[in-house]
Amino acid sequence: MSLLVVTSNSRFTQQELPACKPILTPGWVITAFIFIGIIFIPIGLASLFASENVVEIADRYDEDCVPSIYASDMLAYIRSSQTNKSCTKSLTVPKKMKNPIYVYYQLDNFYQNHRRLWEEVEFSLLLVSVFPDMSKSRSDKQLRSKANEFETKDCSPEATFLVSNKEMPIVPCGLIAWSMFNDTYGFSLNDKAIQVNKKGIAWKSDREYKFGSDVYPKKFQSGVIGGAKLDENIPLSQQEDLIVWMRTAALPKFRKLYGKIEVDLEANEKITVVIQNNYNTYSFGGKKTLILSTTSWIGGKNDFLGIAYLTFGGLCLFMVISFIFLYVVRPRPLGDPSYLSWNRNPDGLFAQLRCRFLSDILCAMEEF
Amino acid sequence: MDSNRPLLIPSPRTPATQDLPYNTPDLLKPLSSSNPIIPAVSSMDSTNPIDNCPPLPHITSFNSSSSLQNLSSIQSKASVPMRYGSRGADSEALSISQKEINDEDARLIHVNDAGKTNDKFEFAGNSIRTGKYSILTFFPRNLFEQFHRVAYIYFLVIAVLNQLPQLAVFGRAASILPLAFVLLVTAVKDAYEDWRRHQSDRIENNRLATVLVNDQYQQKKWKDIRVGEIIKISASETIPCDMVLLSTSDPTGVAYIQTINLDGESNLKTRYAKQETLSKIPDKDKITGLIKCEKPNRNIYGFQANMEIDEKRVSLGPSNIILRGCEIKNTSWVVGVAVYAGQETKAMLNNSGAPSKRSRLETRMNREIILLSLFLVALCTVVSICAGVWLRRYKDELDYLPFFRKADFSEGEKDTYNYSGWGLEIFFIFLMSVIVFQIMIPISLYISMELVRVGQAYFMIRDTRMYDEASDSRFQCRALNINEDLGQIKYVFSDKTGTLTENKMEFQCASIWGVDYSDGKTNAQGEQAGYSAQVDRQVLRPKMKVKVDPELLRLSKSGKEGKHVHDFFLALAACNTIVPLVVETSEPTLRLLDYQGESPDEQALVYAAAAYGFVLIERTSGHIVIDVQGERHRYNVLGFARSSYETASTALIGRAALLRKVASYVETNLNILGASGIEDKLQQGVPEAIESLRMAGIKVWVLTGDKQETAISIGYSSRLLTGKMTQIIINNNSKESCKKSLEDALIMSKKLMTVSGAANKTEGSSGASVSSVALIIDGTSLVYILDTELEDKLFQLASKCSVVLCCRVAPLQKAGIVALIKKQDRRYDPCHWGCGQEGRQAVMASDFAMGQFRFLVPLLLVHGHWNYQRMGYMILYNFYRNAVFVLVLFWYVLFTCFTLTTAITEWSSVLYSVLYTSLPTIIVGILDKDLGRTSLLKYPQLYGAGQREEIYNAKLFWLTIMDTLWQSIVAFFLPLLAYWESTIDGSSIGDLWTLAVVILVNVHLAMDVIRWTWITHASIWGSIIATCICVIVIDAMPMFSGYWAIFHLAKTGLFWLCLIGISVGAMIPRFVVKLFVQYYRPSDIQIAREAEKFGNFREFGGAEIEMNPIFDPPRR
Repeated sequence: MSLLVVTSNSRFTQQELPACKPILTPGWVITAFIFIGIIFIPIGLASLFASENVVEIADRYDEDCVPSIYASDMLAYIRSSQTNKSCTKSLTVPKKMKNPIYVYYQLDNFYQNHRRLWEEVEFSLLLVSVFPDMSKSRSDKQLRSKANEFETKDCSPEATFLVSNKEMPIVPCGLIAWSMFNDTYGFSLNDKAIQVNKKGIAWKSDREYKFGSDVYPKKFQSGVIGGAKLDENIPLSQQEDLIVWMRTAALPKFRKLYGKIEVDLEANEKITVVIQNNYNTYSFGGKKTLILSTTSWIGGKNDFLGIAYLTFGGLCLFMVISFIFLYVVRPRPLGDPSYLSWNRNPDGLFAQLRCRFLSDILCAMEEF
Repeated sequence: MDSNRPLLIPSPRTPATQDLPYNTPDLLKPLSSSNPIIPAVSSMDSTNPIDNCPPLPHITSFNSSSSLQNLSSIQSKASVPMRYGSRGADSEALSISQKEINDEDARLIHVNDAGKTNDKFEFAGNSIRTGKYSILTFFPRNLFEQFHRVAYIYFLVIAVLNQLPQLAVFGRAASILPLAFVLLVTAVKDAYEDWRRHQSDRIENNRLATVLVNDQYQQKKWKDIRVGEIIKISASETIPCDMVLLSTSDPTGVAYIQTINLDGESNLKTRYAKQETLSKIPDKDKITGLIKCEKPNRNIYGFQANMEIDEKRVSLGPSNIILRGCEIKNTSWVVGVAVYAGQETKAMLNNSGAPSKRSRLETRMNREIILLSLFLVALCTVVSICAGVWLRRYKDELDYLPFFRKADFSEGEKDTYNYSGWGLEIFFIFLMSVIVFQIMIPISLYISMELVRVGQAYFMIRDTRMYDEASDSRFQCRALNINEDLGQIKYVFSDKTGTLTENKMEFQCASIWGVDYSDGKTNAQGEQAGYSAQVDRQVLRPKMKVKVDPELLRLSKSGKEGKHVHDFFLALAACNTIVPLVVETSEPTLRLLDYQGESPDEQALVYAAAAYGFVLIERTSGHIVIDVQGERHRYNVLGFARSSYETASTALIGRAALLRKVASYVETNLNILGASGIEDKLQQGVPEAIESLRMAGIKVWVLTGDKQETAISIGYSSRLLTGKMTQIIINNNSKESCKKSLEDALIMSKKLMTVSGAANKTEGSSGASVSSVALIIDGTSLVYILDTELEDKLFQLASKCSVVLCCRVAPLQKAGIVALIKKQDRRYDPCHWGCGQEGRQAVMASDFAMGQFRFLVPLLLVHGHWNYQRMGYMILYNFYRNAVFVLVLFWYVLFTCFTLTTAITEWSSVLYSVLYTSLPTIIVGILDKDLGRTSLLKYPQLYGAGQREEIYNAKLFWLTIMDTLWQSIVAFFLPLLAYWESTIDGSSIGDLWTLAVVILVNVHLAMDVIRWTWITHASIWGSIIATCICVIVIDAMPMFSGYWAIFHLAKTGLFWLCLIGISVGAMIPRFVVKLFVQYYRPSDIQIAREAEKFGNFREFGGAEIEMNPIFDPPRR
């Protein structure tokens, strides 16, 4: 045993540990490329197929739902408390949609990932008062437990309100919650309402651990025309629309789950949607789209991954073919000493000629 | 007692002593024999070598009076400004000897009056402090020292910027963590080292010494000793401070010291007290005097002072001073006056370690770092310009954007104003993007490089193939930051004696009174028992045995016939500075005589004399006892030419010239008694090593004091020269002829180049085969060439030669030659190596030290090659690793309204270069090997990869950057497009990007690893696993907004397909390029690796030997 230790120790210090020294032999290369090609192309096809099977209805309504008299001043329309915000649209089902059918709203040009919306840094220095724009926009602590209700220092300017000269926290505080989406959709088929299940649209982990069951909304969006309302009697953990909204989107064009329709929709059926068009995207040119979509194992309708896999797989197969071709045209025995620079020098000219004969591309690569 | 002082002969092998041209022999007057004064000339003349001594197969070096300073010691002068140029090297000798100590430069020491000495000038006390910090100063001082590194300052500026609220991209903790971590680790390391230093300081400072206080000797702690005090030291005690000797137990004032603690040399050295102070007994009659000496300096072999005592002015030199750390031997006591104490002692001044250097690779790397900084600025500019355009475009709508809050329309009043103004807003965005993209400049690389160098040094030191059994010395790596330079060496300058040879002098033959005794057959076995002398029924035998020539032995014993022989050996035994030491053996009656001295040549001669029956038994400064063929003779040393010698030696102006005059006065009308031949064998494996170096394309320069013919024959025997080489010999006596022969040589070498160049187009690419021109140049020619406009021509010529042999060069010329190359080839930064045989002084001044010359081959060809290959790859990889992450962040910024949001959590951003990807690159940088040791040693040409900069160059850098761009595009846009128009949230896609980049970066490394050991596997795959764990842990904390994201993500197939797609797709271009390059334009290393793997190295070798035939050196 001790002998073993000694030898392995000295092997280590002499840098002679047993080691595997893989070398890119043509055999390995060809096998690897073919292997990747064989794996990637079927995956690509399967992804494309899955994406193809997803049925999706998209309907952009932000402009359509503004009455024509307000077309020149949409902001006035959306900011007025007098205007009728409901809007009826009709959608045709292109293909049979099996339940569950997911209802999403999609916003475009909406930077939920804007850093001023998306901050969780928890300190403030003197300079905050000088540069108040570094306000933080949410307080995850406040959301979790009633005990942290006053943790609103990151939430300015939507942090507190005054009640008889006393600062009381807004719950949920911060700009992210403040900007919550509040359009609503009502679906009906042949005048028969279709139920939209809004339970379970948020992550279970968020409902149970991130949003407290003892935290109730307070003074949220008070006085804002068209702003989202939260029922102050329902704890945050059950306000699933809020929870979904608070999971900030990664990209400026994003979807969020609105609810689930748990019946099948047949092809060519016409669905009527009554939209309460409350949410102001007009001030910053955002677009609103209603989406109805089935899902597959790959997610929603998106061909990109399939195409990417097919491209990579195809590229590998192309490489293997060109490599085999080059290998046949100009084989190089591995470890052939005549290729060593000090042996090669005399016939350097010849090597260059051969190089030209092959292809310019190869030459360029050989330069490297 | 009126004693006669011997004239001092500075040891020829003591480096850094001035070459004073007085070879004044000791003059003897035998008391018990009637022999006349022997003018001994033996062994001191290098111009008369005995050509009959067969020079082969060994180097027979004729004990030459011009001391061969080893190269390293010359270069050690680099620390002294002005001395380093090729210009000025020559003039140094004069300037020093003529230098007068100006009063303002001098240090005045009142002997035995410490109060007065320290009154005016506060000289350092004798307590030493090698520890840097105290408990109070540790924190500030250590921080201050750490922040001397630019890297840390960069860290700090970024962290400070991040603390400004409007720039706060990361949390406070997250932004400070990496800096704090690095600082802490370094501080702990420094604190531990310092604590150990403090401990040893305490022990040192509390040692006791005997000091004269109020005319009485008292015990005093070392730390309380002050300059000017008189100290008494007994045998085997260590000297507490640098002292001028006043008197010793020896009536003539000789003291023997061992300097093993100072320079590692174990032989005894003699030091002398001045005659004027000898008789004084400090505790009885009060000594007063004034010593005027130079300011404290590092030169342990130099000291210049004079002493005014009893109204007389006495000069003091290096032989009058004993240095702190040395031990008194063979002398029962010495008394001296402290002149330098504590931190000012020469030992402490030399304690500061090797100056730091920057490797060539690192210098080149800094250029690319500047490029990366430009990229960083470019990225930040793009972001801020885009943000500016965006703000301008939506200027009117900012009022309504909730996040700018120009107007808070919820309350109908303008209470908060979050907009800082267009210009300021852009400026903030620029600074914020610098914070976000900070790791574009790979600060962690500097730390990784240091760790890798430590690892590499560990393996170099532990290499058993660079372990010298004879001297029990391992390879020493004294400079840590130039490991990779060892793989790019272009010139090797080598001294001959002690570097190529063993520096073990052996007496071989002699020519006496014109008769050459070298061809007699030496009877090694029979006569080697050697001669021994009987003293008091005890046998004294010399420790070393010497082969004797029977004819000479017979002559030396016969009286009349061999008179000259007798005189010759007597001179050998007497005229030297050797001290015989009697060593007890296990046998009670047998004692061994160990001849100790500074010069190995003298040792050899004394041992030789002993073997012929002239045994040196005792030496004091007053007399010598020699056992001549069993008869005991005592010789007293005569004072000779004392007055003129003393005038000369105490002179402060033109001391050298005066001494020369005395010498020429003494050295007249001398009869040449004979000459000795001393052999210094080539070290084992030197010819093979030189051949390997030559084949590796390294230009080998050998600098020797030998004359041309000897040098050339040594060149052949060490395979420096081969029969195939064209020799260009330059030995001229005037500048004009030098110029002409240089020009001729240049034309000739050009002709040779074109002849060989026609056949090979890649001229210069493989040094070994380009030219086999050898330049042989002598010292006289160099005098006309160095420091003149001919230098350029010499350099041009030398750069075309594969071998340069400089013969008959003076030590200072050697420095000039090295300086010439340094000046001409700016890329050359000397890295010094010392060979154990040259004595320890060389080792002290070198960057690398090894026991044998032949270890240079594994050092350069194996370790140097590995180090360079590893470091070069590591630098490129680190650039890539950080840039790919920054680019992924950058692409995302384009989708966030240019507001520097990161989808990747701040903790992952911070941990990325600290934890996620740091270990594998360090492990690969220490452990990966592109080729095995055997192949590298067998085919030295493979070393060319480093000289041609194949692993790290601008082309590879740009290719890496392009590859980085592609990889970041795949890693970012594949998930982006795959999740386009989906419900993906920022945290989830951020986790996906984190994992994708980390996997990508590690797979990239895995693809380039050449040798997979279990450690490599563990570090690479372990890093990926560690990253996954970290991401999971971060996502398991409810206080972060990304709570549980990774778990939701991992349940979807899309996530896994994205990861696989990224890993494969991003790698395809790199893999394809690598493949085609390896297959169709293989580097030498690639072919060697294949051959190593598939075992056809043998045929390989056959072809190679044909290309490089080795001729036997022609024998003369």
